[in-house]
Amino acid sequence: MSSWIDYTINGIIIGNIYALLAVGLALIFGVSRLINFAHGSVYVVGAYAGFVAVTQLGTPLPLTIVIVVAVGALLGLGIERFGLRPLQGYAHIAPLLATIGLSFVLDQLVQLTFSPDPRALPSELLERRFQVGSGTIGALDILIAAVGIGSAALLYYFLRFTRLGWAIRATAQDRDAAQQMGVDVNAVNRAVFAIASALGAVSGLLVGMYYNYIDPAMSFQATLKGVVAQVVGGVGNVPGAIAGSMLLGIVESYGIALFGTSYRNLFAFILLVLVLVLRPNGLFASRRQTPPEPMTGTFIAPSKPIQISYPVLIGIAVVMALLPLVLPNPYVLQTLTNAWLYGLLGLSLTLIAGTVGLISLGHAALLAIGGYASALLSLDLGMPVGASILLAGVIAAAIGTILVFPSFRLRGHYFSIATLAIGEIVSLVILNWESVTRGPIGVAGIPPLSIFGFELDTDRSIYWFALAVLVILAALQFRLLGSHLGRTLRAMRDDDIAARSYGIGLDRYKALAFSVGSFAAGVSGGITSHLYSYINHETFNSQLSILALTIVILGGMGNVTGAILGSVLLVGLPEVFRVAAEYRVLIYGLVLLLLVRFRPQGLLGTI
Amino acid sequence: MSANTSFLEVRGLTRRFGGLTAVNNVDLDLAEGEFLSIIGPNGAGKTTLFNLMTGHDDPDGGTVTFMGRDITRLSPERLAALGIARTFQHGRVFANLSVMDNVLVGAHVRFKAVRPAWPFPLNLLGPVAEVALALIRPPSVVAEEQRMREEALKILSRFGDRLLPRLDNPTYSLSYANRRRVEIGRALALGPKLLLLDEPTAGMNQTETAEMQALIGDLKKSGLTILLIEHKLDMVMQLSDRVVVMDNGTVIANGKPAEVRNDPAVIEAYLGHRRADRPEASVPEAAQ
Amino acid sequence: MTSAPSTAPQPAEPLLALEGINTFYGPVQVHFDLSLKVGRGHIVCLLGGNASGKSTTMKIILGLVKPASGSVHFAGQPITGLPTPQIVRRGVGSVPEARRLFGEMSVRENLLMGAFTRKDQRAVAQDLDRVLGLFPKLAERLTQRAGTLSGGEQQMVAMARALMGRPSMICMDEPTMGLSPLWVDRVLDLIATINREGVTVFMVEQNASLALEIAHHAYVLQTGRIVLDGPAATLRTDPRIRDAYLGGQDAG
Repeated sequence: MSSWIDYTINGIIIGNIYALLAVGLALIFGVSRLINFAHGSVYVVGAYAGFVAVTQLGTPLPLTIVIVVAVGALLGLGIERFGLRPLQGYAHIAPLLATIGLSFVLDQLVQLTFSPDPRALPSELLERRFQVGSGTIGALDILIAAVGIGSAALLYYFLRFTRLGWAIRATAQDRDAAQQMGVDVNAVNRAVFAIASALGAVSGLLVGMYYNYIDPAMSFQATLKGVVAQVVGGVGNVPGAIAGSMLLGIVESYGIALFGTSYRNLFAFILLVLVLVLRPNGLFASRRQTPPEPMTGTFIAPSKPIQISYPVLIGIAVVMALLPLVLPNPYVLQTLTNAWLYGLLGLSLTLIAGTVGLISLGHAALLAIGGYASALLSLDLGMPVGASILLAGVIAAAIGTILVFPSFRLRGHYFSIATLAIGEIVSLVILNWESVTRGPIGVAGIPPLSIFGFELDTDRSIYWFALAVLVILAALQFRLLGSHLGRTLRAMRDDDIAARSYGIGLDRYKALAFSVGSFAAGVSGGITSHLYSYINHETFNSQLSILALTIVILGGMGNVTGAILGSVLLVGLPEVFRVAAEYRVLIYGLVLLLLVRFRPQGLLGTI
Repeated sequence: MSANTSFLEVRGLTRRFGGLTAVNNVDLDLAEGEFLSIIGPNGAGKTTLFNLMTGHDDPDGGTVTFMGRDITRLSPERLAALGIARTFQHGRVFANLSVMDNVLVGAHVRFKAVRPAWPFPLNLLGPVAEVALALIRPPSVVAEEQRMREEALKILSRFGDRLLPRLDNPTYSLSYANRRRVEIGRALALGPKLLLLDEPTAGMNQTETAEMQALIGDLKKSGLTILLIEHKLDMVMQLSDRVVVMDNGTVIANGKPAEVRNDPAVIEAYLGHRRADRPEASVPEAAQ
Repeated sequence: MTSAPSTAPQPAEPLLALEGINTFYGPVQVHFDLSLKVGRGHIVCLLGGNASGKSTTMKIILGLVKPASGSVHFAGQPITGLPTPQIVRRGVGSVPEARRLFGEMSVRENLLMGAFTRKDQRAVAQDLDRVLGLFPKLAERLTQRAGTLSGGEQQMVAMARALMGRPSMICMDEPTMGLSPLWVDRVLDLIATINREGVTVFMVEQNASLALEIAHHAYVLQTGRIVLDGPAATLRTDPRIRDAYLGGQDAG
């Protein structure tokens, strides 16, 4: 069974790498109550800093590590400066969204500088291996273990025996009381971001050396793994983060041994969702906690929404419907068709995140469910395309709501993290469930759009179809918001405790809203799959989830018109100005960052 | 309900937080139509008791019975359906909702036409039906909405012209006193059998307090059963049929306002005891 | 009576002076033109019932809440609007409401956190000995986690922690809240002792009878306004104190 020893060692090594990430996240959460979604970007920057040092400057390993630590620490200070400090006193979710925006910006800058192609990060340690019993251990394994254990020891000493360390612990335990002892909590925040980011950057370097492979896309996965390890160990708990990381590393390693590499992340995210739902304080917390001070985790800035009367809206819709007759430019029509489809996604998320206040970070999964459902129904079961799209909406509503239902009890950040993980799980199930989804090959030859047997083969007809679907669903959403359900859902968002006291069962109404919202997203995914004729598990990726959120915040949370406007602006404008694809994500990140900071109520205002 | 069963009956209610027993073996009885106030210094456990009785926290021991039915550990939404309405210590209105919508949410449990009462397993489709009815809006739904709106107007007119001119304003734009009024209006819209008021005049000035006191006095006259937590003892003394005093999680006095007012235990709980009974010079050996 | 102080009037040069403070929480006004003075070397207590604005006064002094208008002067210098750490560095110690210890840290670490602003490590070590002399019970508990102590012991740690900063004034927010009667007496005795060592004490207290026994001067706050103030000795027998709490029959 020598391979089991190898798998165990491998698990511990990976666990060490996760620990370097998770400890930083835990430190940051401890002092600032922020889950830093830019942490993975620090990891990527660390890896690339190491790459530059080794390949361009030819630095020896110790110097490389020093450079990476310095770069990481500086970057951490920058994240604190732009992602956290200006947002003190904002809604709790605001800094989290800001760090998502920052991570988009940073990742794209890395990609623009070094190209999206993977690079090798050579290390002379890679080849050296030692015999241990019946297994082997590499020199790099030993280095990683040494860095992991060494950092943990250093951190322990620092937190226990230095003034700054004490200030960090005191701030984490009671921010106000620490201030009353004369602790400058802003300085503590800066120190923590610098330390955490230095550790994260080193983690990136080590991973790059371990796999002799780095690419900008590692960022998101690294953030997720760090978050998983941290949540498993108890958010904000430093020893817990280390234990959670080891557990995660070993679970993944054994999972790979038993089921193969493509299952690795699936285990990680299922573990995350299970822990969130069953033990939200982490595996190591035992006490029955005092019920937390009621805090709505929503992102609702009181504002006067800009009222647009129904006649005006109908007028705009008519103008849009007439547009193909006046301006039969295929490029414009395709762009706007795209905007209408994103508008459907926006309708969905603005209802769920805006009207109900459930900030979903995995919304692309609903597109994926809808897309696959419609594609497979029409392709494998021969269902007519129009009907398959409708049924795809229903399927997305049913599956989406069932998957998310256990997470409805989570508040604020925790719900967002759960949806992020559920989104990843959906994508991984699609990848691995080959008998149905065709796995990594994807679904090709999806029949083109048609209704009642009439094929929609012109840009114009497709445009009208997408616009019609959008207008119908938007009208239904307006009608829903104008009914007793509108006020019920918004009441839940504004104050769930008070809402319950007036007889509103939260689970029932969250599920109801989530189903309605998921239907629109599923329909959007379904239509998209027929337009593309080919989809795979990466067609609807997590970037789309964040784009959807940016669309919704740009338009104004809960604002139906705003969601469509946001979609036209974010999807349409870059096309109009022919912005190259790689700059778009950068723009989305910047827009998100600026919105959160300067106009949280969006363009048309929160409803 | 037999005559000797009380309307609301609390027996041995206990809640511990770590080492601290915030509510310690509390008994409480409330008769139908009675006005009972709970007073006590900061940290006495009043709000914890309130939370236990309204389903926002689970007791470590004890029972709560309402109209002969055990309601211990029932969720807030179930309690609302049973006709128990409450207001909150710092006034929790739905900030982005209009005054009218706030009051209509208060009537949520009384909307029947939009929520058909189907038996299991059909009731699993209840949410689907609710969405469909909200979109289609058959005459029964429209009529119900209309009826509730008229009733809400009637409730809001109790506050004179404080709220009527502001029906469509979001409540975050209202003055604090007006928000507390909206909260009371919302509670009345539930059509409560029992009304629990948690410091309804906290943060109000004297005029506003007097106005609120008059309103609560009217509610009392209309026969509503009311449980009040309040710090303004003048008001408590004038309104209450009976006063319960808590200190350190236990009930230290229970009686008519005049009796409680002159109870030495109550005076001590508020003002602290004097230590004339203690020998001198007990400053810790220390410090020179 | 061990510590019945003199009934000396407030000195002309106060250590702390609040002038015309108006404070709001959102739309709720908490303070109405509040002014008060704390004489150097005195114990001054601020009395009042629930929700009278006592604790907010404390937060104003410590810079945790900013007043809408008015000024705070400490040792002759304006400190209005300064961040809390800077106010602490000027010599204002704090015993927060509900003690607010660092529960996961040891008693020793808590005490040393009190000296966070000081650089003179030797003097800090000496002060630790001195403070432990004042609170001999804590010497036995130095390595224990502060969160595991009883309420009374925690209060001692909170007071000792404040002393470790060598403040010229300590602000105490309800130091006797939630304590058993025996501990209440002990804590008040300790406050008098601390004061005799030369530390000015400003305390917010609900336990009026006992607070007035050790204080020099007192203010009574009612819904954000000072309704009564004077030397503690005269207030002790003033029936209006009781009215301020329980609502007098004829109180307007």
